[in-house]
Amino acid sequence: MMTLRDSILATLLAALALSAMPWLLSAFALSLTLTCLMYAGLAVSWAMFCGATNYLSLATAAFFGMGAYVTAWGAEALPYGVAVLLGGLVAAAFAALVGAAVLHLRGAYFAVITFGLGELVRHAITYYEKSYAGTVGRVISAPPEAATIYHTVLLLSALAVVTALAVRASRLGLALRGIGADEERARTLGVNTRRAKVLAFSLSAFFAGALGAAMAMRWTYIDPLSVFNPFIGFQTVLIAMVGGAHTILGPIASAVLFSLLTEFLRLQFPYLFLIMLGFLLILLVLYLPGGLASLFARWRWRKSNA
Amino acid sequence: MREALLSARGVSVRFGGLVAVDEVDLDVHAGELVGVIGPNGAGKTTFFHTLSGVLSPTAGRILVAGEDLTGRAAHVYATHGIARTFQTPRVFKEMSALDNVRFGLEFAGRTRRHAHDAFDEPAAILEFLGLAEVAAVPAGGLTPSRQRLLEIGMALGARPRVLLLDEVAAGLTHAEVDLTAQLIRRVRDELGLAVIWIEHAVRVLMSYVERVAVLHQGRKIADGDPRAVARDPAVIEAYLGDEGEPERRAA
Amino acid sequence: MAFWFELVATGLITGGIYALVALGLNLQYGLMRIMNISHGEFLMLGAYLTWLGHTVLQVNPLAFLPVVALALFLVGVAVYWLCFARIIHTAPAVEVIEARSLLVGFGLMFLVQNAAYLAWGADLRGYSYLAEPVDLGGARFMANRLVVFAFAVGASLALLAVLRWTLIGKAVRAMMQSPTGAQLVGIDTRVLHPVVFGLGLAMAGIAGGLLSMVYEISPGMGEPYTVTALIVIVLGGLGSAAGCLLGGMLLGLVEAFGMHFTSPSLKMLLSYAVLIGVLLARPKGLFAR
Repeated sequence: MMTLRDSILATLLAALALSAMPWLLSAFALSLTLTCLMYAGLAVSWAMFCGATNYLSLATAAFFGMGAYVTAWGAEALPYGVAVLLGGLVAAAFAALVGAAVLHLRGAYFAVITFGLGELVRHAITYYEKSYAGTVGRVISAPPEAATIYHTVLLLSALAVVTALAVRASRLGLALRGIGADEERARTLGVNTRRAKVLAFSLSAFFAGALGAAMAMRWTYIDPLSVFNPFIGFQTVLIAMVGGAHTILGPIASAVLFSLLTEFLRLQFPYLFLIMLGFLLILLVLYLPGGLASLFARWRWRKSNA
Repeated sequence: MREALLSARGVSVRFGGLVAVDEVDLDVHAGELVGVIGPNGAGKTTFFHTLSGVLSPTAGRILVAGEDLTGRAAHVYATHGIARTFQTPRVFKEMSALDNVRFGLEFAGRTRRHAHDAFDEPAAILEFLGLAEVAAVPAGGLTPSRQRLLEIGMALGARPRVLLLDEVAAGLTHAEVDLTAQLIRRVRDELGLAVIWIEHAVRVLMSYVERVAVLHQGRKIADGDPRAVARDPAVIEAYLGDEGEPERRAA
Repeated sequence: MAFWFELVATGLITGGIYALVALGLNLQYGLMRIMNISHGEFLMLGAYLTWLGHTVLQVNPLAFLPVVALALFLVGVAVYWLCFARIIHTAPAVEVIEARSLLVGFGLMFLVQNAAYLAWGADLRGYSYLAEPVDLGGARFMANRLVVFAFAVGASLALLAVLRWTLIGKAVRAMMQSPTGAQLVGIDTRVLHPVVFGLGLAMAGIAGGLLSMVYEISPGMGEPYTVTALIVIVLGGLGSAAGCLLGGMLLGLVEAFGMHFTSPSLKMLLSYAVLIGVLLARPKGLFAR
């Protein structure tokens, strides 16, 4: 295991290398890399909270969509970077609110509520748009350049990885692991579990929201149905679980794998592809809950004990 | 009379119609080694839950060093110096023994100062418990008796003033029970903690503690010197209803 | 006066469906701690089956309901064996069962929904059945809605009766209260679990079939009902069958009145607000024991 400093350094170096891509890759390859980065960021930030604590959040789509709408609403008035930051903050604030209300409940309740959050936020925004803004969707008139979007998403994903690394090495990370292992025990040893959970949940929501805000500019037309796409939430969970939600490298590698798969298969066989993904998640949960990372760890253990 | 470190005043716990703990008073002072015994279902563990903030009493108050913590969350009790073990050892299975002990130091342990400075390091605690050699082993891989010791280590990591031990000797051989009891005695002697110890192994507890409280069907029926309590007719009757006289109960 | 009556009645009719769907989900959770968030997809399958029965086989939808129920029951048994049995047998703790079954349900949801998209396309389908108005107590209702209400309540009450008075119902309740005790007296979970799971999906299928008589159907129709059923279950107190019935009716009424006084688009928001409110005030549900 690398030290924290080395891991962060490695991440920054990789990000630096990737930042040159807009001038090296074709438009198609760049778009693909963008998708990889987005899912890496989403999966790593999801795993930061859910992997350690074993709480299941199905709210990624809600946060992503909220961020996207912050950009959509603020596109005229705010510079791109500010809108992205705001998207993240709004999502984080929302997560803090919801988290404070429901994180102290048992895990199943929490998961159920996050599951409905996407629907809830979508309905709320649809209502607002229709009643107050008098519109169904919005047109993005002056999107930023592809390179700008790329660099923003790259920055966010790199930041997500660095944050996940830092949290893992910190007291918060220890608290989260304790919560995942035995929450009541952790409480009796002095962990304010509610505060730790809300904090980590909000942090993870920030990245989902910011990424949503950043990616929204790629579409020229935004409406609630397309933005609050449950597929994004599903894909995030699947990627993190396949990679191994307790690791950081696992979800990153898995994100690349799935982005490639999605790109090449989804347009050809849209429904079949989703059916296969659903099937894959089921198989995974039943037979390999630790994801590929657990396979890797088992292989490594076997080698060292041979 | 010096102030009690931990004080239960009229604590009752009701689950629906069932009264698990019935208006129990208990005061524990610094350096005291108090045993709590009683037949099965007497409410001992439930009482412990209220003393550690895991459960809120339905009635009554819990004071820690004079401060009323009734109804507060468990982590507040921990940061005020109450640490406990559970009946079945609850260690963090995936973490190493060292990290298990380190956990308490990182959280509740941060806010407290220990009488014994050597306990600033998780390694020192493991040494004290005789677990130094398994420091790197994941806690889930330890034997049950070692996990019990580790649990005490986790509690010590929280740098408590009061240590609540729930049946730490259950399932151990005679020799192991004696060793555990000696360890508990050392914890009190060397670290100046107050220790409240629930045990079914009444024989051993009685010979190590200076004071024993007896719970029966949720009520406290005796509280005092072990020999006197063992001869108390109410206590004998409570145990006869269960299995036999306390001083003759095998561990 | 007739207006309020209609409003209440509308709420109860919707509530009846909610109760039925929630009952099925509640059976699965109460007994096995399986949070099947793909439940609504099987409601959707029930709706499509009924539609097929009506348009292809020319069978009266009401008469076809038992077939749908049986079909979904068998599907449920299969789904249990393939997807959930292993979780129940290998999980070390209840929380793990809940977490894993949630994820499996999540995967199932995508699987079933997209299979439906593949098979029948995304267009809305429907048929007309008993779409004549009926006068009742001075208010007008569509005959099909009344039928749906009657059958939804009827099926719910039938299920409650089964739970209370039949041997299998007693076995289920025994298992819910004390798994070890129940096994000691010979109740075999290997039989009970798939049967109960199948029963739960059958309820969803019946609800779907009933809905197809009144509304148009699409592959995505199930998900909102899953969310609503989850809200009902939490409202009613997880594990309480009567609580589901009452909770479903209550939610239906809240929605009907809420929609009238605010706006139809706020329906989900209202249900959600109720949910969060209840969870904050009484975390064990409104009717939990």
